[in-house]
Amino acid sequence: MVKKILTIFFSLVIIASLVIFPSCSSAPSGPQELTVNIAGEPAQIDPNRASWSTERTVIMQVFEGLLGFKQDLSLEAVGATEIPTVDNDGISADGKTYTFKLNEDVTWSDGVKVTANNYVYSIKRLFDPTNAAEYASFYFDIVGGEAYYSSSDQDATAQAALKAAIGVRAVDTYTLEIKLVNARPTFLQLMALWPVYPVREDIITQYGATWTEPPHYIGNGPFLMTEWVHSDHITLVKNPNYWGEKAKLDTLTLNMITDANALFAAYQNNEVDIAGVPAGTEKTVMADTVLGPQILRYAELTTFAFQFNVEVAPFTNKNLRKALNAAIDREAFINNVRGGVGQPAYSWIPPGMPGYDANLGLDYHFSATKAQEFLTAAGYTNGSEVPELHLQYADTGINPTIAQFIQQQVKVNLNIDVVIEPMERAAFTQAVNAEQYSWAWYGWGADYPDPDNWLPQLFGTGAGNNHTNYSSAEFDSLCAQAAIQLDNAQRLALYAQAQALVVNDAPVLFMFYRERFVLVKPNVKGLKYTGMDGDVAGDMFFANVWIEN
Amino acid sequence: MTRYILFRILWLIIVLLVVSFITFSLMHLVPGGPWDKTKTLAPQVVEALNKKYGLDKPFFAQFGDFLWNILHGDLGVSYTLQDRSVTSIILQGLPKTATLGVIAFILAILIGIPFGMAAALKQNSIIDYLSVIFSTIFASIPGFVLGILLIIIFSVELHWLPTGGWGSVQQIIMPAFALATLPAAFIARITRSSTLEVMRQDYVRTAQAMGIKQRVILVRHILRNALIPVVTMAGPELAFLVSGSFIIENLFSIPGIGRMFVNGVFARDYGLIMGSVLFYGFVVAGLNLVVDILYGVIDPRIRYD
Repeated sequence: MVKKILTIFFSLVIIASLVIFPSCSSAPSGPQELTVNIAGEPAQIDPNRASWSTERTVIMQVFEGLLGFKQDLSLEAVGATEIPTVDNDGISADGKTYTFKLNEDVTWSDGVKVTANNYVYSIKRLFDPTNAAEYASFYFDIVGGEAYYSSSDQDATAQAALKAAIGVRAVDTYTLEIKLVNARPTFLQLMALWPVYPVREDIITQYGATWTEPPHYIGNGPFLMTEWVHSDHITLVKNPNYWGEKAKLDTLTLNMITDANALFAAYQNNEVDIAGVPAGTEKTVMADTVLGPQILRYAELTTFAFQFNVEVAPFTNKNLRKALNAAIDREAFINNVRGGVGQPAYSWIPPGMPGYDANLGLDYHFSATKAQEFLTAAGYTNGSEVPELHLQYADTGINPTIAQFIQQQVKVNLNIDVVIEPMERAAFTQAVNAEQYSWAWYGWGADYPDPDNWLPQLFGTGAGNNHTNYSSAEFDSLCAQAAIQLDNAQRLALYAQAQALVVNDAPVLFMFYRERFVLVKPNVKGLKYTGMDGDVAGDMFFANVWIEN
Repeated sequence: MTRYILFRILWLIIVLLVVSFITFSLMHLVPGGPWDKTKTLAPQVVEALNKKYGLDKPFFAQFGDFLWNILHGDLGVSYTLQDRSVTSIILQGLPKTATLGVIAFILAILIGIPFGMAAALKQNSIIDYLSVIFSTIFASIPGFVLGILLIIIFSVELHWLPTGGWGSVQQIIMPAFALATLPAAFIARITRSSTLEVMRQDYVRTAQAMGIKQRVILVRHILRNALIPVVTMAGPELAFLVSGSFIIENLFSIPGIGRMFVNGVFARDYGLIMGSVLFYGFVVAGLNLVVDILYGVIDPRIRYD
């Protein structure tokens, strides 16, 4: 009885202290240093030209754009005073002209004000053909962008004219206007991405390619770079001139350990504060009494699947593709091959993104009977009548295990023979890109959280990332309507129909939605993660992180 | 001697030319190019990238450009580390790789030669057996296994040494040891067998019969002659160590050129591949030349005139 009373008493004291002193634990004290690891030396850290997550992780600390993403991946105004809408005259009625009012308090780390001209310079630079920026094509809806980007064969005068004709201008010091060729409902999301972060013309002109080395790497974000030891580490420190709420961390170090086992060891030796674990060790880590509680796992906006080349027999047969979809036990896959990490996928768009629909692909939940029904519909009484299937994959990591799992499942559940064909990584990518494959492992991660980035680009007839050769006039028409539909509810409804078509036609074998599985030291507080983090968990909001000493 | 060296240098240039051409051809024949990414780039982007790096030109024009730049001391640009020249990447990584390689080499010599000599001098003793057992074990353990074991013992369990990185003495210990074991084992075995052979030579027996001190015989007659095969092996071994090990550099996060080169191949970074191959070719051929000259110094019977 006494024990019970004491327990209740102490519980009340703890609850009361939490209510009365809620901010106690959030006041950072002691050294505020966070060390994390990025996948390797970034190719470059020039916002206009960057494309990989490693590069993004660095850029997101040092720069920020007009708009940004909140933790729930909705948009928020950052360098702009508000998100442009039709109501606040930020977007014209036809959806083709965007006007951004800049926050006049925003400064560069050297104290200079960020102006509309910085954005004008940045966007025109994005389309500069000599820069060959990889993400430029995302912005070809901006008037004149594509023409200038493709002008490398023209003379300097013609190029200058094309550059001047790009539909972006500074109306005044703090007002930016962008004109689009077509209405683009997802344009605001694109404006929250790194390729259109502002950059400084004076610095780039003065230092050329070395402008991304400290101390010239001047940004407008919460951190600034003081050191870049190539292939070793990058040191960022709190930007003392940051216009908004300053970073809680004093130092943020980005190590470049490339070996998964070495990174795991470095974490255990307290050299890094956040780290992934080597593939295959997930279950051991979960069971570990010390490491287990340090696990952070959350859904990412990434779907993995096997794509069928629907022009290569027998994958031309829709019902065979559906049979394969129903023949795979994805729960077993995740449990045995993926260390229990990830969620089974029965459709394309992952949870956490607009357009995810748990009711799609119900026919693909594992059932050997269902698979057999589809096989019969495909015109085969027994799997042994189906010609040998050839499955290609890049021979890296756990891909061989993945391929063997599929081989075994298809044999056991459908009695179809699968030949697995490992390939060197770049050779595999080229084979897929050139559609010289029959059945291949692949994944897609969000560039921005919208079906616009997930459906037309991958399943539209002839689209750049459509390597299944899938072609549906109905799908194309739905996507074309959605692309310019300014009413968001209607737009998402159109994409929902489009996705339903893809799921029914099964140009891919949906496998799983990836989950991030990392270890975080218990003294790292305030980590805010999203499904679109770059190389490091929580790297979109490192300014909020503090260390509890 | 001078004529011989000049002749060899001329050959070196021809060898490098042939090596460059073969590499250049293979690189373009191998499936997969630098712009083949899992997210397919827009055709306009690929076109712009090809233009930027001169890949829109015909094959021989590209090779011509490469040679022209080499003549001007420019190894070209990297495609994966886009703002840096291959020369700057090699110059930045080489000192680290070379330091590690030389330390590992010295370690290998310091371990290998004494063990090999001791084993031969006390043939069929416990020392001999231990030496053979250890050299067999170390010759068979792959570097990455040994490296991981070292990391688990000294970093994860004992917390004595950092897991990797570059800049302090503590960071060099484990990778240097992991890198040195294999050559040390080889050197020990070669030293042992060549010492045994030399010990049975007539001139050694004659020296012993003449009553010359055992120590003098050992240093002047046995060691000097027994080391010729070791030097033969040491040259390429040093070239190998100095050019870097992808596995060790990757495991211990050493910003050297070994890791960079292998990553360059995976990424089809034509610029980095060509620059590195030329550099490696130069190092290997150069060190072989040095070894050949050293023969003459060690063995008076070898003359190049």
